[in-house]
Amino acid sequence: MAKRLLRIFGPLILAAILVFAVLAMPVTLGFSHVSAARERKAAVSLSPNVLRGKHMKEEALKDGYVPFFGSSEWSRIDPMHPSVLAQKYRRSYRPFLLGARGSQSLTQYFVMQNIQSELRNKKAVFVISPQWFVKDGTRKDAFGFYYSQLQTAEWLTHFRHDAIDQYAAKRLLQMPVAKSDHFIYAALQRVAKGEKLTDFQRFYLQTRKNMLTQEDQFFSGIDLPSQNLNRVNQQAKQLPTHYSYSALDALGGRLGKAATSDNRFHISDKFYHQGLQKELKTGKLKNFQKDLSYTKSPEFADFQLCLDQFARLNTNVLFIIPPINGKWQKYTGLSATMLKQFDRKIHYQLQSQGFNNIVDLSNKGNVPYFMTDTIHLGWRGWLAVDQRVNPFLSKHQKQPHYTISDKFYSTKWQNLSPTDLTQYEAETK
Amino acid sequence: MLSFEPYGNPTYFALLGVALLPLMIGLLYGKRSRLYETLISIFFLVLTFGGPKWAQGVALIIYILYEVALTWGYAVYRKHQNSGPIFYLMVILAIAPLAIVKVTPAVENGQASLIGFLGISYLTFRAVQTMMETRDGTLKDYQVMTFLQFMLFFPTISSGPIDRYRRFEADYRSVPDRETYLGMVQKGIRYIFVGFLYKFILAYYFGTMLMPKLQLMAMHARGGFLDLSWPVLGYMYAYSADLFFDFAGYSLFAVGTSYIMGIATPMNFKQPWRSPNIKDFWNRWHITLSFWFRDFIYMRLVFWFMKHRIFKKPTTTANVTYIINMLVMGFWHGVTWYYITYGLFHGCALVINDTWLRYKKKHRASVPHNGFTQVFAIFLTANMVCFSFLIFSGLLDKLWFH
Amino acid sequence: MDIKQTVLDILNDLTGSDVSGAMDDNLFDSGLMDSMGSVQLLLQLQSQLGVNVPVSEFERSEWDTPNKIVAKVESLA
Repeated sequence: MAKRLLRIFGPLILAAILVFAVLAMPVTLGFSHVSAARERKAAVSLSPNVLRGKHMKEEALKDGYVPFFGSSEWSRIDPMHPSVLAQKYRRSYRPFLLGARGSQSLTQYFVMQNIQSELRNKKAVFVISPQWFVKDGTRKDAFGFYYSQLQTAEWLTHFRHDAIDQYAAKRLLQMPVAKSDHFIYAALQRVAKGEKLTDFQRFYLQTRKNMLTQEDQFFSGIDLPSQNLNRVNQQAKQLPTHYSYSALDALGGRLGKAATSDNRFHISDKFYHQGLQKELKTGKLKNFQKDLSYTKSPEFADFQLCLDQFARLNTNVLFIIPPINGKWQKYTGLSATMLKQFDRKIHYQLQSQGFNNIVDLSNKGNVPYFMTDTIHLGWRGWLAVDQRVNPFLSKHQKQPHYTISDKFYSTKWQNLSPTDLTQYEAETK
Repeated sequence: MLSFEPYGNPTYFALLGVALLPLMIGLLYGKRSRLYETLISIFFLVLTFGGPKWAQGVALIIYILYEVALTWGYAVYRKHQNSGPIFYLMVILAIAPLAIVKVTPAVENGQASLIGFLGISYLTFRAVQTMMETRDGTLKDYQVMTFLQFMLFFPTISSGPIDRYRRFEADYRSVPDRETYLGMVQKGIRYIFVGFLYKFILAYYFGTMLMPKLQLMAMHARGGFLDLSWPVLGYMYAYSADLFFDFAGYSLFAVGTSYIMGIATPMNFKQPWRSPNIKDFWNRWHITLSFWFRDFIYMRLVFWFMKHRIFKKPTTTANVTYIINMLVMGFWHGVTWYYITYGLFHGCALVINDTWLRYKKKHRASVPHNGFTQVFAIFLTANMVCFSFLIFSGLLDKLWFH
Repeated sequence: MDIKQTVLDILNDLTGSDVSGAMDDNLFDSGLMDSMGSVQLLLQLQSQLGVNVPVSEFERSEWDTPNKIVAKVESLA
């Protein structure tokens, strides 16, 4: 019987041991090299697997790619898109696009966890979408979609006991996806309470991190979508051989005009016909945003996580605040006053802590062909971004000096009306 | 609270391995511990229906008590009397919860019924079958505890295969001898590993990687004749492959686990893509379901029609019953136009298939039969089936009405 | 008339071919019998031999060759 049992279970046990051994190994095998071609693909793929992983990002950032944090705007690839311009005019940097539809500050904070050494003392670009700052902040399902156990495990193996970690842990515990691993969930509960992790938890997290790191090495490069890289290459063909701002501005105007021919909002026809036209016909969209506010939101504290992280790593960041399509804003009744107030609040949070590289485009919503659709930058908008991104990344910059304040994690700050800013500033000095 | 999809992730399989080990040692030494089997059954049921899904768990408990009351009550009644109307009433009562669950989304805008839980239809098949065999007098010794084990047998609770009470009981009451059991374990392990290949590699590729892309392409390519396009064709094949590998993979897990527990649960798939005709396809695809329909709907209806001489010709009887049988199967999948059309499609396909087989039998000399016709028949059948799965997938519903 | 002959007559009639030459051939695999044929067989057995077989007693694997059918009917008659 023993012989027969060995014949049945031998291969099974052997396979299990081998798989576990390979995955739990703390050292990485020689599969770590990522070719330049794959880096190019990954940098513009916007694939959730790349965002959730580590290896691809890490390797590319080591090779001179610069992290561009943001969300859905990255998928609007036209000739003036940062990735296209950087490629066409052989800039000294290449953007590594991080973020896609629905990724907000909290996701980006965890994305930063396993590229820390690539961020330390380096530069980065960060697009702040006003739309993130709605009443409930990041959507739980969107956060769940981009959630990465690897990043969480990595964070839990290097966290310190202070405001940033406690806030991050509490926030994560509010997300249903945190329950996807029960041991991690238990560890988070301790961090949120300011307690130390148990020995078992530390051991588990270390093993889990090793396994997930190996998995990421093996699998993250498989099936990288290449359609965005193809689009970048296509768009680059439309650009003139030599860079000239006026020529590009004129081209942007021409392309924008041709692409937004059949609607009064100057929204690209393709986007317009993907359901927007149908919805407009119902009339429900008229003034539908009139009560919307971007001034009170947990997102302000989530965003502070990112700022805090940048400060700790001494990363020099260029922030971009995009506008909203002016015609669209008027039609949907989105309050201009509220947008100005949002701008004030976010400026205060940035500047009072020493983040002074801000490209504020919020008043450009009415420049023709600045936006490609309702809220996303296009042609001239991308060009305006390039006007600031290129010198920021190509030239030597002065070292930033950050002074972080934990008050931005407070609920008081999250829900502070921007009209009370002056008073708040005086009170919290 | 832990909560798992059955056979959904490595942890589930690890727990399964640990839980089955003592049971395996017991069976190797000729012992079957009812108590231990019951305990691990409860453990895995709690894993599936507990935690965030507790509402389903409550629904399951109430449902089981209800079905036990019906089958037990009927078994006691049947010992003394045998009235037709009472039998029909009991069957209707047994099916009622399933009917409510299936109809609710159609009338409540897609909302799921509160009394539903994962696997309700498979449990209903088991309960109704028990009742029908009690009526026929073939099942004389109904035992509540055995019935509970039969219904709640955890490896097959969520999606079958649909075992039969008497077959299950025979396995459950005995212990296979060591040689036989070792053979079963060997098969069980092999099944589970083929299941890994099917469900976690092939079904993942077709279902998770390919299908969403094709669906998106199909939706973008709308506007042509009936909104059809090449991506729709691609989707049809990808969906069919996913359906097969996902369900066959699951079935292999369920059967494999049963074997390790010393229960020879019947197999659900037998190389369905090799079928030379639709009739044969249904002998190879989701076998325990189609055999259930064959034994408890088709044959009974035919029997009844012929006994009462409803139709003059036997062929008419067969054809009408095919359509009814497959329509019922369509409704069972859910009350939507595409499931019902799918049922009707297969009903008609069976009628045409039967007519052709009769014609072929009569004109054996003039109809060629060779390697080429065989390959052609297999090709045609597979494509007809894939087309029926395209209807079944609901993609057409999305293309046309959303 | 003996049971075996009656059963064979019924089978010949139902399948449209002479099965007496291949008593151990699987009737379902060869396509000579199907569910419809099974029900007809059960009805014929009832009317010609008075043998009552409920549908749920009809386990296909026990009724799939002429020999098995004859043996089964003989045991029930």
